[in-house]
Amino acid sequence: MKKHSIASALVATAALCGAGAAQAQVAGQVMVKLGWNKIMPKVRSTELSAPALPGSTIDIKSASALFFTATYMITDDISVEALGGLPYKHDIIGTGSVQGVGKIGSIHQISPTVLLQYRFMPADAPFRPYIGAGPTFAKFYGSRGSAALTAFTNPGGPPTTIGGDTEWGATTEVGMSYKIDKHWFVDAALLKTFINTKAQLSTGQTTKARLNPVAINASIGYAF
Amino acid sequence: MKKFHVLTTALAAAVFLAGCGGNEAGDQKPRVAFTSMVSFGDSLSDVGTYAVGVVAAQGGGHYSINGVGATGLLWTNWTEFLSATLGLAAPCAAETGLNTIQAVLGAPPVPATFHDASTGGTCTNYAQGGARVTNPVGPGNATLFNASVPSTYSDAIGQLTVPVQTQIANYLSHNGGKFSDGQLVTVFAGGNDIFMNAGGVLAGVETPTQAVGAMTQAGTELAAYVNTQILANGATHVVVVNLPDVSLTPYAVGAGATAQGLIKNMVVAFNTALQAGITASANLVYVDAYAASEDQAANMAQYGLTDVSTPTCTSSSSLVCTVNTLIPAVAPAASGAAATAANTYEYADSVHPTPYGYRLLAELVSEQLAIKGWL
Repeated sequence: MKKHSIASALVATAALCGAGAAQAQVAGQVMVKLGWNKIMPKVRSTELSAPALPGSTIDIKSASALFFTATYMITDDISVEALGGLPYKHDIIGTGSVQGVGKIGSIHQISPTVLLQYRFMPADAPFRPYIGAGPTFAKFYGSRGSAALTAFTNPGGPPTTIGGDTEWGATTEVGMSYKIDKHWFVDAALLKTFINTKAQLSTGQTTKARLNPVAINASIGYAF
Repeated sequence: MKKFHVLTTALAAAVFLAGCGGNEAGDQKPRVAFTSMVSFGDSLSDVGTYAVGVVAAQGGGHYSINGVGATGLLWTNWTEFLSATLGLAAPCAAETGLNTIQAVLGAPPVPATFHDASTGGTCTNYAQGGARVTNPVGPGNATLFNASVPSTYSDAIGQLTVPVQTQIANYLSHNGGKFSDGQLVTVFAGGNDIFMNAGGVLAGVETPTQAVGAMTQAGTELAAYVNTQILANGATHVVVVNLPDVSLTPYAVGAGATAQGLIKNMVVAFNTALQAGITASANLVYVDAYAASEDQAANMAQYGLTDVSTPTCTSSSSLVCTVNTLIPAVAPAASGAAATAANTYEYADSVHPTPYGYRLLAELVSEQLAIKGWL
């Protein structure tokens, strides 16, 4: 009987732990995360439209910023997450026939995203991988030109500026969360967004760019 | 409800952060802090050597459509577009004057006068219309005038045609024999060696082989001046522009297929010798205007051009062309208006570009300077 009581105690302890874990990701729960996100665009741009020197294309460099999410558990497995954050500032680099020119400008971007997620493993598991997908709204703004951009688009004229755009895209993700205690957890995710944009210069030329960025992030979360 | 409040707050924050921030020019300072621009060459870089006497009286001085804003662009010559891009004051002619033959044109000559450091001036554009690489007699030089040969009557205007070799020597003797770090030095010549030698062939005083050989020699000489007179004397930012494909100009097309073919060979001979002769240097940018001129003719729309064969000026030389002497297709609709229609034409006269044509060259040069890391 003594052995049995020890076993019972272990089961009871396990049950208690389980009860604690159940605080993390169950239906009706709200969680928030705060972390660092790095967006790495995989750019393919069209040549700057005429009139322009032929073959001028652009690349958009990676940028990182603080991000936050709010997640609502619809069921124990399905959740909806809103992702926002501080603006990203991307450097714009000349490529193609202007390869070597370096930075020709920069642009700010913010891309709030809503993701419908599915979480694997039981609700009380400490480690829960997940997948998600949803729409992304990207707003490009606050651009800066440069002497180099003006030089090959409007030499001797007024500075050339870059017009941003607003775009819709689609994001998919894989991620995982690991519970630290009843409220706190850590989270990491890899996101792929499918999105195009069009930049218009003040001199009239346009370039269409397929951005399709990959983003990686790490965050710390709190479950209410 | 509290949980939903957290969600809505997060979304509101995201939207709020997307808020403001306009699109701005950013830093327009070139990466190299240029203090001045020094230009050597011919009519294609001339900003007013002959804007005196009879030429000034007709509102001329640039080899294009004259007058600030004549076609709605801010500048006329590519050196003007470029110096503005560098953040410098507009270039001005280092020497002015005209050896006008008064008996022919009725106007007195205007003595050659320097406006550079030698006279306390700040003008550093030594390029002169009619200038050749080495030979002091180029198109428009009064010594070519012959009262019994009508085709030389235009030479009565008396262009100084100080050759590039002497232009550089003048600069050096007036500036302590040195160039400085803050200078952008531009070299663009060879066209008048084409015209003089092609003219020699057409007049039967020169064989085509001799003409091509003369261009090889001119290219070799220009390269030597760049090496020994410019780079060796301290210039650290030098731009050499090779010769555009002169065989595509209305002048060459009008001379017939044989002459056109010869001119092309002459241009290629000059550019080959020039490029081969220039010592490779981190202080030099070689701009391929030849390839660009061919691409402009073959792909007009890419460059915003609709015509690469019709001169827009009714005057035979664009030196005295203004908005009042344009072909009907590009003439301004109302008196005082800009001839904006000329901004899709390459040529002002049979060899010189419109202001837009010059702007295209400035774009090409600026692009190469930006790639070099100077802009």
